[in-house]
Amino acid sequence: MLEVKFIRSNTFRWAFGVACMFAIFVTILFAFIYFNIDDYLVARSDRVIMTQIGFFSALPLERRVSAIEDHLAQDPRSVQFAGLFDVHGHRIAGNLARLPDRFRIDAPVQSARVAPLNRNAPGNPKVRAAARRLENGDTLMIGRNVDETREISHAVGEALALGLLPAFCLCLLAGAWLSLRAQKRVEEVNQRVQRIIAGNLRERLPHRNVDEPFSRLAVIVNGMLDEMESMINALSGVGNDIAHDLRTPLTRARLTLERGRSHAGTLEQLQAVADKTIAGIDQSLAIVTALLRLADIENSRRSAAFGDVALHDLLREVYDIYEPIAEDKQIRLSVGIGVKLKVRGDRDLLFEAIVNLVDNAVKFTPEGGKVDIELAQSEKGAIVRVTDTGPGIPRQETEAVLRRFYRSDKMRNTPGVGLGLNLVVAIVKLHGFRLAIHPGPGGRVEIICSRHKREELKSAQLICAAES
Amino acid sequence: MTKVLLIEDDGETAEEISAELTDRGFEVDWSSDGIDGLDKARSLQPDAMIVDRLLPGMDGLTIIDTLRRDQVRTPVLVLSALGAVDDRVRGLRVGGDDYLTKPFAVVELVARIEALLRRPAETRETVLRVGQLEVDLIERTARRGERKIDLLPREFRLLEYMMRRSDQLLTRAMLLEEVWNYKFVPTTNLVDVHMGRVRHKVDWPGETAMIHNVRGAGFILRALP
Repeated sequence: MLEVKFIRSNTFRWAFGVACMFAIFVTILFAFIYFNIDDYLVARSDRVIMTQIGFFSALPLERRVSAIEDHLAQDPRSVQFAGLFDVHGHRIAGNLARLPDRFRIDAPVQSARVAPLNRNAPGNPKVRAAARRLENGDTLMIGRNVDETREISHAVGEALALGLLPAFCLCLLAGAWLSLRAQKRVEEVNQRVQRIIAGNLRERLPHRNVDEPFSRLAVIVNGMLDEMESMINALSGVGNDIAHDLRTPLTRARLTLERGRSHAGTLEQLQAVADKTIAGIDQSLAIVTALLRLADIENSRRSAAFGDVALHDLLREVYDIYEPIAEDKQIRLSVGIGVKLKVRGDRDLLFEAIVNLVDNAVKFTPEGGKVDIELAQSEKGAIVRVTDTGPGIPRQETEAVLRRFYRSDKMRNTPGVGLGLNLVVAIVKLHGFRLAIHPGPGGRVEIICSRHKREELKSAQLICAAES
Repeated sequence: MTKVLLIEDDGETAEEISAELTDRGFEVDWSSDGIDGLDKARSLQPDAMIVDRLLPGMDGLTIIDTLRRDQVRTPVLVLSALGAVDDRVRGLRVGGDDYLTKPFAVVELVARIEALLRRPAETRETVLRVGQLEVDLIERTARRGERKIDLLPREFRLLEYMMRRSDQLLTRAMLLEEVWNYKFVPTTNLVDVHMGRVRHKVDWPGETAMIHNVRGAGFILRALP
């Protein structure tokens, strides 16, 4: 099984491919060198042959024969061939028995098989040779054995065998090793991932502290796993909160119904029971609606619907709506618009966010207090600020208030779903703005409408300002 | 009798809705799937329709699109368990139809059906009158008999809306959507506070009350007590 996988492995196949390519190229290179040397040698012997023929034919007849004999005598390696034949083809001098058949006379140097005279050399060696008709009717033939090239090819072949084969094998071995190693790491990662899939979120991928792709990848994946683990933990926390907040009103409704069923004597009593139950169920439904809305905003990519939003108009509208409500609660609501500012965004959502902040401020400020809505310009961008004279958010809770369903213990009895600030955060996030919550006493929450680059978003989303 | 066609696949919900509407004097036809519903919409020619968004056979919005293409203008109230209000739903609202998210209170449903059936005619009138109450849309003034009523802009819009739909039950959700353009329900009793103020200005002590609070449901502006 492992062997099959190993041969099929991509790394190994690549290594094999590369080794083959390497072998082919080296072979071509060697062939090129061989043929070039061969050509060069042949050309050189051709030149020598032509010179010798010229030399011998220029000699007077009586000296020619002895010169040929001398020439052949000075050839220890017996690569030289020469022959002088009369008109009838009979040998006069030299070491060739006869002229080869179909040999072209007075032509350039050509390849031919010759019949050596005597000699223990077997067969008819193949030589380069040329022949010339002399003025007295004789024919002079000079040849040269080019078997040297065979020796060269032999050397080349040997070099190939000695160099190429080990290189090829080395290539394959390297490929196999890399492939095995990769296989092992993948198997290792696979086992860990299987454990993660099985639910062990603590598991991380192995990595060595070296600058190697596998380790770098493992570090990246581990980073992702860290993020996911904390998200999943947060989610399960939210799940518990949801369960708690949904169950509380449902439990009340159930108890009311149960008691009503056995105790209600009159129609009025039964109606009162029904009203109370409906109220409890409505509370649960409000939570579900708020959660869905939150999810909707968090998942939406609504920036396509963005337009210019006049913040000053928006604030005035919020003021108009909340002024009577504040007055009913004996709270002085005021709006301070120093500048007219426009931002890019979704008008309805921004309105909802500001309404939520003002709603919270009015809700948590005791009678006789003050709530201010302000629009200001800072170097960071437009700032929508909602301040109140209520208890504010204690320093240690500035982060906690952003958790879903978080309600300060002191506020447990205030009506509401407890998702308002989450909604504000989601909307602010969607716009790439920031939310700053200043610690109490006295509530102070700001939406800072400055756009920033995507990568900054994550860290810059929430500033739970420490100064104040 | 006013005929209402209800296309809803959940039998129990359909039964409750039919019972309530029948009690209020409507004649209700019920269809449990999209294709049958479309057939009935064509053959029965109801005065209004209540259509669930997710239906077997054909989805609610497609039924409405098909009818509109055939030039059938019957007002439709779409019911949906989907909370998200998307573009198609926004289109519905512009087209004069309405959308209600499940779960809903039965009074809410009835109020909306009545509102759909009694859509105010497009008038060129610039003065609205209900009993003693009179609103001038150009001058932006309101009076009750001889008495002038001072209203803030938002209060004026609220009163104007109520006068256009006098003698109809207006729920808080309807008012939030129409007068405040809210796409969400705030936690505070915003409508009640504003309504309280308008009521204070319209109905003085000793005068016959015109704005009535219907407990657990909403408000009605009546010409006569």
